Amino acid sequence: MGAQTAENTTGNTVNTVLGPVPAQQLGVVAVHEALLSVVPGAEYAFDVTIDRAEIFETLAEKLKDFRRHGGGTIVDSTGMFHGRDVRLYEALSRTTGVHIVASAGQGPEEMLGGYFLTPQTNPPTPWPAEKFAELFAKEVTEGMVVPRVERRGAAGLVATTATLAGMTATDESLFRGAARAAMTTGVPVSIRYGDDAVRDLEVVLDEKLPAARVVVGGLDRKDAVAAGAPLEVATRGAYVGLDHVGAEDDAHITDAERAALVAELVEAGHGNRILLSSNAIGVAKGHPANDLPYSYVLTTFVPLLKAQGLGDEDVRRILVDNPRDLLSVR
Amino acid sequence: MSRVNTVLGPIPTEELGLVAVHEHIGYGMPGSELDAKWWKSPEQRYEETVPKLRQFHDYGGGTFVDATGICNGRDVDYYKSLSAKTGVHIVASTGFVGGDTALPFFARASVEYLAEHFIHEITVGIGNTGGRAGIIKVGVSRGGRMTDLDKRIYRAAARAALTTGVPILTHLAIDAETAIAIFNAEGLPLDRVLFGHVDDGVNADKTRDTWIAEQGGRVGFDTFGYETELPDPPFWARPRKERLDHFLRFIGQHLDKALASADANCSALGWPGVKGHTVNYIFEDLIPDLRAAGLDEAVIKTIFVDNPADFLTIQN
Repeated sequence: MGAQTAENTTGNTVNTVLGPVPAQQLGVVAVHEALLSVVPGAEYAFDVTIDRAEIFETLAEKLKDFRRHGGGTIVDSTGMFHGRDVRLYEALSRTTGVHIVASAGQGPEEMLGGYFLTPQTNPPTPWPAEKFAELFAKEVTEGMVVPRVERRGAAGLVATTATLAGMTATDESLFRGAARAAMTTGVPVSIRYGDDAVRDLEVVLDEKLPAARVVVGGLDRKDAVAAGAPLEVATRGAYVGLDHVGAEDDAHITDAERAALVAELVEAGHGNRILLSSNAIGVAKGHPANDLPYSYVLTTFVPLLKAQGLGDEDVRRILVDNPRDLLSVR
Repeated sequence: MSRVNTVLGPIPTEELGLVAVHEHIGYGMPGSELDAKWWKSPEQRYEETVPKLRQFHDYGGGTFVDATGICNGRDVDYYKSLSAKTGVHIVASTGFVGGDTALPFFARASVEYLAEHFIHEITVGIGNTGGRAGIIKVGVSRGGRMTDLDKRIYRAAARAALTTGVPILTHLAIDAETAIAIFNAEGLPLDRVLFGHVDDGVNADKTRDTWIAEQGGRVGFDTFGYETELPDPPFWARPRKERLDHFLRFIGQHLDKALASADANCSALGWPGVKGHTVNYIFEDLIPDLRAAGLDEAVIKTIFVDNPADFLTIQN
């Protein structure tokens, strides 16, 4: 391992849906992906069909493809209120052999239920950070909820998101709550920022959460790259999530630009802070899918990195060591 | 043929009997299902619910209208089992208690989509339960004024009511001018709308109950029993006598527009509920109070049988 590997996580474990797994066994990790993704409420829509057998078959095929191409672990980073189905993920992991890490957390504000925004109190004050912290922490210490039925295995991370136009007061409560839950439970935090990556990162760091316990997703957005946010985030010691690999849209840089950005960050000494993922959606309900294979980084993007001059060591650090260090429960 | 949709299928209006027109088997804000502090086992839920419905039936209650919206823990399969085993007819709602209880998928939806969804739940069924909605729930979000989303839901509800003949039940009757303007614009007769919660402790002063009746709307005094005299009253409680006097004044002028209910939870889902308050307040407290105030049996029948029958009967 190179000098850039800061932490020794040899003896650590990672919370998967089938229980704690030695961190060394994760293999190649896709750290920002979605398995079943359901816009809250879509499950009640008259024209949305949730066929669990069909969903299982689709997801199992995609996970097997990931494994065939060398993948070891998928992180479902969609939080606890966007279609997360823990029992389905347990069956998928058992069937495919892919480790699945599922997440607590929710956000942005717009995606929350009224329970958190307009509670039955007078006045209806939105939830403060402390209550979110407790809700999220219990997903680790007591297990992830199957709503109104039971708790299952421990969440492997807390994921939250800020409103794209800029962090709202309730988004800030979510971020601070996520940070506090991470502090007390030892799992990491995944944040997706609003209009200012570094500012939003500062909110969780303000809670005294070490930067090495945070991944900032979406840093391959054009606005973030233009603002120099990837380097800023890495400099602060947080993980740089370049997690739209394969995206062809107006919001993100291209794969060629992304590969060059990775090379720059490695050159600047931040190879131990880079994470790659695709934000692929295995099955989407109530919104458009991002139908990339989970194996896209391995099959298509790694050759671009090699062309940038990265060696096997660098690639291994980014795909295996970095996510292992992030996900290891401290 | 006159009919009303219940969770076990359409029934003739003549079979409704005494109606509790605004009640809840169990209500919880969307998202409360994530907070395990409120979870109850199925054993506990049945144990809390069945005796109340059985008592309602034994008192002579016929029909329980569940006013729980789409994302509030509405559970039609559960209602079907309760209805089949207790003999109480249960009418389920489509629609939303307010814009602030509609989850993002519906909050983003167009008026056309919302109307299509409501119509589907009324004419085809709710999810794959086979149970059809017999009423459309709409409401005003917290804050006292209708939000843009509230207005979209009211407009969609008006269209679904016109298409299907099923009536509309509102949560809160504040900002009624805005609501009535929408119903008028859509061409929905106001006697197809029950403007609910005109009597609650927070909003009664701000609610134009007689004005709504004069426009042709039906008026719901339907939070009976949420009283400041309770050991631990909720914030919307009101002194018992003040509410009763308010109701008596109203029926002196607009008996044909008056409906009454208790808005109680049999087994609350995402909040503690209010201990001691049940649908049976109607029989144990309200009807005795009305009799003590000198109302005769014909008036009581008008309030609890005839008016709800007119209101609930599918118009087409």
